[in-house]
Amino acid sequence: MSTPTLPPPASPLQEFKDNLRAAPRRIYETAFRSGKPSTDRTRSTFIFSNVFLHLHSVRVHRWTLRWSTSMGLGIASTAAFLITLITGILLMFYYKPYPEAAYQSIKDIHFVVPTGRFMRNIHRWAANVMVVTVILHMARAFYTASYRKPREFNWLIGMGLLATTLGLSFTGYLLPWDQLAYWAITIGANIAQSPREVTDALGVTDWFDPGGMQRFLLLGSDNVGPEALIRFYLLHVMILPLVLFALMSVHFWRIRKDGGLARPENADQRLPDPSGAIYPVFTQAPAKTYSLAAIVRGRTAAVGKGPENTVPSMPHLFYAELGVFMLTTLVCLALALISDAPLKELANPSVPENPAKAPWYFLGLQELVSFSAFIGGIGIPMLVLAGLGLIPYLDREESGTGEWFGGSGGRRVVRQALWVGFGAALAIETFAIRFGWIREWYLNTPQLIITILNPGTLLAATYGLYSIWLVKRHRSTRAGALGLFTCFLCGFLVLTVIGTYFRGPNWVFYWSPSDWPRH
Amino acid sequence: MQKNKYLLLGSSLAVLVLLLTAAVQENWLNPWRQIQSVGRMDDAAIPVQLRQITNANLRVGDRCVSCHVSMAPGEQSVKGAPIFAPHKPVVHDPVEYGCTVCHGGQGSATNKADAHGDVHFWPEPMIPVRFAQAGCGTCHSALGIPNREAYQRARLTFERLDCMACHRVDNRGGAIRPDGGGMEGPDLSRIGITGYDKGWYGKHLDKSEKTPNGPWKTSFAKIDEQAQESVAVFLSMRTAAPVLMEAKATFHSFGCLGCHRVNGVGGDEGPDLSRAGLKDPGQADFTHVAGSEKLDRWIAEHFRSPGAVVAASQMPPVVASQKEIDQLTLYVLSLRRGELPGTYLPRDRMQATRLGQREFASGGATLFTTFCAGCHGHEGKGKHAPGGTTFPAIASPDFLALVSDQFLTETIRKGRPGRRMPGWAKEGGLKPDEITRVVAHLRELGGGAPMPAADDGWMVASEPQTGTDLFAANCSGCHGAKGEGGKGPALNNRAFLELASDKYLMETVRLGRRGTAMAGFQEPSPTRRALAKPEIESIVAYVRAWQGR
Repeated sequence: MSTPTLPPPASPLQEFKDNLRAAPRRIYETAFRSGKPSTDRTRSTFIFSNVFLHLHSVRVHRWTLRWSTSMGLGIASTAAFLITLITGILLMFYYKPYPEAAYQSIKDIHFVVPTGRFMRNIHRWAANVMVVTVILHMARAFYTASYRKPREFNWLIGMGLLATTLGLSFTGYLLPWDQLAYWAITIGANIAQSPREVTDALGVTDWFDPGGMQRFLLLGSDNVGPEALIRFYLLHVMILPLVLFALMSVHFWRIRKDGGLARPENADQRLPDPSGAIYPVFTQAPAKTYSLAAIVRGRTAAVGKGPENTVPSMPHLFYAELGVFMLTTLVCLALALISDAPLKELANPSVPENPAKAPWYFLGLQELVSFSAFIGGIGIPMLVLAGLGLIPYLDREESGTGEWFGGSGGRRVVRQALWVGFGAALAIETFAIRFGWIREWYLNTPQLIITILNPGTLLAATYGLYSIWLVKRHRSTRAGALGLFTCFLCGFLVLTVIGTYFRGPNWVFYWSPSDWPRH
Repeated sequence: MQKNKYLLLGSSLAVLVLLLTAAVQENWLNPWRQIQSVGRMDDAAIPVQLRQITNANLRVGDRCVSCHVSMAPGEQSVKGAPIFAPHKPVVHDPVEYGCTVCHGGQGSATNKADAHGDVHFWPEPMIPVRFAQAGCGTCHSALGIPNREAYQRARLTFERLDCMACHRVDNRGGAIRPDGGGMEGPDLSRIGITGYDKGWYGKHLDKSEKTPNGPWKTSFAKIDEQAQESVAVFLSMRTAAPVLMEAKATFHSFGCLGCHRVNGVGGDEGPDLSRAGLKDPGQADFTHVAGSEKLDRWIAEHFRSPGAVVAASQMPPVVASQKEIDQLTLYVLSLRRGELPGTYLPRDRMQATRLGQREFASGGATLFTTFCAGCHGHEGKGKHAPGGTTFPAIASPDFLALVSDQFLTETIRKGRPGRRMPGWAKEGGLKPDEITRVVAHLRELGGGAPMPAADDGWMVASEPQTGTDLFAANCSGCHGAKGEGGKGPALNNRAFLELASDKYLMETVRLGRRGTAMAGFQEPSPTRRALAKPEIESIVAYVRAWQGR
């Protein structure tokens, strides 16, 4: 028997030196405990041992990585949010949320804070990019029928995210405290007050005034003032971002729990063979059984399926995500370099802007509000929200999931609905602009009749009837939904464009701002 | 999937390029950095840094000095470019007061277009240099400024008396003593602000008499009282802003206050002008104003054709020379009264706002041209705009010979309700003694026409019915079928009828008004016959009926 020879005891100083030398390597190793992500196993551990990445699944289906699947719109909105978050925090260092000081601080950010103007421009453009990508992302999810089982509730979360995004953008609009902000928020607050149109017509406003309450709740005062500013500021920099963050987490987590992005049943067959350039699947036998998946119910995750046609998320998904992230950043930076965020005169309650316009994404509503405050401010938005929210619960069909314009009717219905959607919106608007509406013909028409019968309700009714007809014709709720959603997008576009470019002082139609009367 | 890699690489590189571009642009290509980089002080480059003047009391934070470096605190003599020229010596040190208080513009801006304010959405662009003295109006209200005639008289008197042989005034005159002892007399450029010894004339005379020779003997002589008064007027207007003072004098010659209020005094027919110099050019309609969209051009064009520039304006065009239009423009630009902290409230402004001292001179002539000339003309000869109202020739000797001072005073006090003539006993109108001086001035304008004998009251007792036809035939052409006025004044105005005696009416019809369309009816004219006394009486009785008593 030989006793093992012990290494000669190192001097404590030597040990210290060795530890010091090894410190950088050890810091790296303890930070990234899975080692270099070079094998399937380490690529997986790279993800699930990282708190920020583990919302991703470790493998991602190749269908998901096709550009046409999602067009990266969800990631683009997230990217835009992160950009606004970073630039927003930078702006907060200089911004002072009190009326005149607010305006002056924006002037200072613009003129003397190093790159302040640039950061503010990025913030503003990223916010707009976010609104656009969120809407497009919703359209993508709809047209690929991705809201279907098991993703119904995630569609609702998505609507919550849309609402929060609009809320963030709207609350940010007031902060510069210039004329643009002041009057846009005044208009926005008046839209919130629109139930008064009905309570006034019924003569019950004195006892029951939900509109006035909404407005007061929004502004914290009867007018847009310091109270409204601090309220909007708090919502903008704290409450709404937190809400958005919470909703986003749920949204992403559910994507992972629902088995990634929706894809057609036959996705595996339709994918071409993987090119040699990508990492082959199964470089080593899975050491882990899917025992956890066994307790997961139903069709979620990869129950009962092998991970064929999937690739490791690290690096394939991350290349895609980071690519979209950088592309979004690029777009925001380029826009920020080209165009300055507006800053008009200091807010002046005694000099109304004419026309006073809400932020662009509310101009469609403002156009409707010009016909009837209640219908534009409450009626149609509620209908749209209810309709959108109910879609996944009414369309229980299965064909076409994960495919662009999938489901009954498909592309044909969408093409037809584009005609109907644009046609009806343009026709009704043209008529109302050319010939006016009931009030112009019969001066004493009661308000309730206008509320019920106006271009807005007419347009909504047209769209509704058309989609009911589609449901009957194709014997499919999906066909009706395709028609209605397309019509809704067309109407939104037409009304927003008219509100933005063709409405002048007193909300009169003009072909160009150069035709506007000068005061 | 390779594509995603290239997407990431490509967009990351592009983002890097854009970030670098922005960093360079924002940090190194600043206009003020480039301007400061050529500046030298004592032949050493000046430190390139953002410079600003702040004054919390005046709410000033002016970064203008980031380019106009020589005007920044402690940096008087920077060499290198014309932009480094130091400020002209002024009473208000720019280092304390900043720039925008006087010049307007956007103090927080750091590039030329934004700072000079000729951009969209900045309501207070810089005052053009040729109107620079308008900036004084932000704080100051010069007091007791006479009309143009009085000012010209004062200036000519001052020059004729050769005061500038010894005194320096507004950078002119003031001989230097040959022995190098400086100027003979003190500089009088700001004497209107600092105040001067009212007994100057006596002291001058005394000294002149006691001194055997030298300038006191050769350059000074006795002057009459009127000249002394003129010199006093001239001196009171020396406020280091001679152009503005002259402009204000011109403003007090066109009767503008008859319709417009300025700092609480004036008529209410037109808009209040107290802050007209701060009008936002972005809110003004430049459709009918040629050239660039500058406020001074708008104001000047507005004087020439008010109706074209402001739709439905009731203001008559201002008939004035180019120089006068410029002066009026300058004065209106100077109406920019700002909020000031008490410590910066100048004495003149305090006297005007808190003690109610007048910005116009208190003499009848200036009062008349300041308040009445707009409608009744400089010399009270009346005005008639084609198609518009006729304003009576109130300095007509024929008229003045018929009316008592009480008639004039009451007319000024109460006005003509329903007509353009406002009552001046109102808040922001004229004080009783001012009205008295206006009446006295009217008498002067009328060439000292004799005061009428005491009125013997009601005398006509004719049947009104007979006057109806006569009025229709002879009077309604100008005075309107119901006496509502037309080319001639309205006769059915109750305020007028209550003041006018029958004698006044009778004599006016009989004798007419020379120099106006109203000819006397005691003589026939080629177009109509003469009226006999009973006929005139019946007309007067008919007119009286409108009084409704």
